[in-house]
Amino acid sequence: MNSGQPPSYPPPNIYSQPRLRAALSLFVTTLLVMGLIASQWLLGDAPQQMQFDARLTPPSVDHWLGTDALGRELWARTLAGLALSFWVGCLAALLSTLIALSLAALATLSSRLDTLVSLLIDTLLSVPHLILLILIAFALGGGTQAVIIAVAVTHWPSLARVLRAELWQLRQAPYVRISRALGKSRWFVLHGHLLPHLLPHCLVGALLLFPHAILHEAALTFLGFGLSPSQPAIGVLLADAMRYLSGGYWWLGVFPGLGLLLMVLGFERLSNHLRRAL
Amino acid sequence: MAPPTRPILLGIVLSCLAAISTAEAKEQLILAIGGEPEQGFDPLLGWGQYGTPLFQSTLLSRGRDLSPQPELATEWSLSEDRLTWTLTLREDARFADGTALTAEDVAYTFNTAAEAGGRADLSALEEANAVDDQTVALHLHAPRITFIDQLMTLGIVPHAERDNGYSEQYGRHPLGSGPYQLMEWQEGEQLIVERNPYFYGPAPAFDRLIFLFTNEDATLSAAHAGQVDIASIPPALAANVPGHMQRVTMESVDNRGILFPMQPVNGEHAASGAPIGNDVTADLAIRQAINLAVDRKTLVEVALHGYGRPAYGPADGLPWSSEEERVEAPNIARAEKLLDAAGWNLRDDGLRYKDGLPARFRLTYPSSDTTRQLLAEVSAEMVRPLGIEMQPTGRHWDEIQREALHQDAILFGFGSRSPQEVYYLFHSQHAGNGFYNSGLYANAEVDTYLDAAQAAKSIEEANQYWRAAQWDGTTGYGVRGDSSWAWLVNLEHAYFANTCLDVGELGIAPHGHGWPITANLLEWRWACN
Repeated sequence: MNSGQPPSYPPPNIYSQPRLRAALSLFVTTLLVMGLIASQWLLGDAPQQMQFDARLTPPSVDHWLGTDALGRELWARTLAGLALSFWVGCLAALLSTLIALSLAALATLSSRLDTLVSLLIDTLLSVPHLILLILIAFALGGGTQAVIIAVAVTHWPSLARVLRAELWQLRQAPYVRISRALGKSRWFVLHGHLLPHLLPHCLVGALLLFPHAILHEAALTFLGFGLSPSQPAIGVLLADAMRYLSGGYWWLGVFPGLGLLLMVLGFERLSNHLRRAL
Repeated sequence: MAPPTRPILLGIVLSCLAAISTAEAKEQLILAIGGEPEQGFDPLLGWGQYGTPLFQSTLLSRGRDLSPQPELATEWSLSEDRLTWTLTLREDARFADGTALTAEDVAYTFNTAAEAGGRADLSALEEANAVDDQTVALHLHAPRITFIDQLMTLGIVPHAERDNGYSEQYGRHPLGSGPYQLMEWQEGEQLIVERNPYFYGPAPAFDRLIFLFTNEDATLSAAHAGQVDIASIPPALAANVPGHMQRVTMESVDNRGILFPMQPVNGEHAASGAPIGNDVTADLAIRQAINLAVDRKTLVEVALHGYGRPAYGPADGLPWSSEEERVEAPNIARAEKLLDAAGWNLRDDGLRYKDGLPARFRLTYPSSDTTRQLLAEVSAEMVRPLGIEMQPTGRHWDEIQREALHQDAILFGFGSRSPQEVYYLFHSQHAGNGFYNSGLYANAEVDTYLDAAQAAKSIEEANQYWRAAQWDGTTGYGVRGDSSWAWLVNLEHAYFANTCLDVGELGIAPHGHGWPITANLLEWRWACN
């Protein structure tokens, strides 16, 4: 029966829109990042300060997340560890993206170079990540620099493959062909037409690489091939916690692990939303 | 992330071994006590210098009071001029292949070890020769009071010219006259040994021993899972004893301390290309101040969870170390005065500077060692209020050897039941030779005392010289003198052992948490049915 009233539709859910979701994720993640960066100044020596009379204390009002074997506050060490992981992840992801972009651009210059780059990508993708990471980090002697280089050198192939395919597609675009027909140089075409199109892909790619980089940094450090055991890195905190778990000191592993999980999930969601929005 | 395969494989191996262990608990023991030698089980290259050689026998053994006891040799004597040792061998000693051990084998072992230049110091040996089948004479270039220690540590190998004789592969396939013989060695994983049927001594209670070479974490997990019968445990983790196990502690002379590079930077480089020297630690005031700032009792409490005692020298409590070798610490006020007087001035950033040089240096430790990491971090924290920044830095051993040995302060561990080690640590002749005197310490007066100790006529006389090298009232290598080290703690070795395992009366362990506990293996018994 027609009541004569226009049909009612549910109000549009603005939160389901990809751009809004991306904006919200970006806002939350930016807040987190700013918090991490600020914590480096605010914490000062707190992650290293020992309280010999408060060793292995469980979480309480005085010690929010508990203390470790030397009486150091776990909240301060977890924050410092996350900040360290953030910088390592940032630098590794940035370096990795640069490598991917450079090689993808190189591949468009000639079919011989393209074959070479493709071969390199396939070779690296066929080798298990972690083994290669350990080998490179060990060969470089461990430490922050070695971890950044190892993660960067092993994480670029997937992004390079995407960028290379995108570049080949763009090369067939009419405006690129016209530009070439007008006698513009390869460098002009690459710099003026192709790279600007690739920047959003690079941004999303770098954001997708970031959580991987953090996880692999933590894994390398946990296995003893990464950062120095004296640095409050998440991998170090988790490796230390392993030794004490059997004694019932659960907080040593739970809180740094949760912190790492939240940071990785946050960036994973942000990159997924951005990918859909862009 | 790909799952690591080695822990899984290790878990499977441990489970299988645990199953076998349950079925044959009285005949087989599983030990996770570390101590795998890189160069194999070759006494000529150093095997057995810390602890007991297990596969081989020594001429003499060390009693609980450190005095020499008969082993392969039933009688021994030193000539009037202190240049010739004569030893009479027992007649029932046989190698694990059933052939007799003779004086020829002993002479061959000593002569070859002297040429091999391994860890056994036989530089004083001129020649060893067999007088007859059961008598051997060892001739020295010059009197050497510590030579008797080699009689207690050097395992005897079969002469190269006999069947199954010594060869380059000996370290992988050792043949000796000790209580056990090697059956299988998977490097980095496990060692399986079985009873030597020809052993001259009492038969061991266990037919087979399986040594697992696991890292600290895996050892602890295996102990909690009941997959090993005895496991060496870092002191910091020894508090929580698994239900089916007991905590066993062994007194030791195993110490930990900070070795300081003694030379200033002068442009010299080591063979690896790494620079030699450190301008900060080369300053006596810095070394003395650190010695004064470190609260050793707290270190024992925090880093060792009480399993140890403060250390002030390389051989605390032993006759060749002075009981007066102590420093009243912590004494921050006195340390600050020393630094002020030496021109190290405190600035606003909390650091001291001298002629623009900050009081900052790396304190390197092996990253795989939890105890040394804790000691490095806590001692760095104790020194910080002085305005000295020691930066704890974990590195792999090979990296330490390549990069850090002569330019970083290093958290080392030593400890021997022989004063020979003091000679290695502080005589300038050994500067830069291996780990011992890697800080390049050199003091002519100390050298004189150490040489006099080696040439002494009696142990008592030698001990006087050893102690004078530490501090003679004017100079010395110790905390009252050059403070070439900041000795921190003496460890008490902790183990988790099955409640059914009776390890008897343990002696005093040298450096090396793990293998030395096997010194009285023949006394071990399984106390349950």
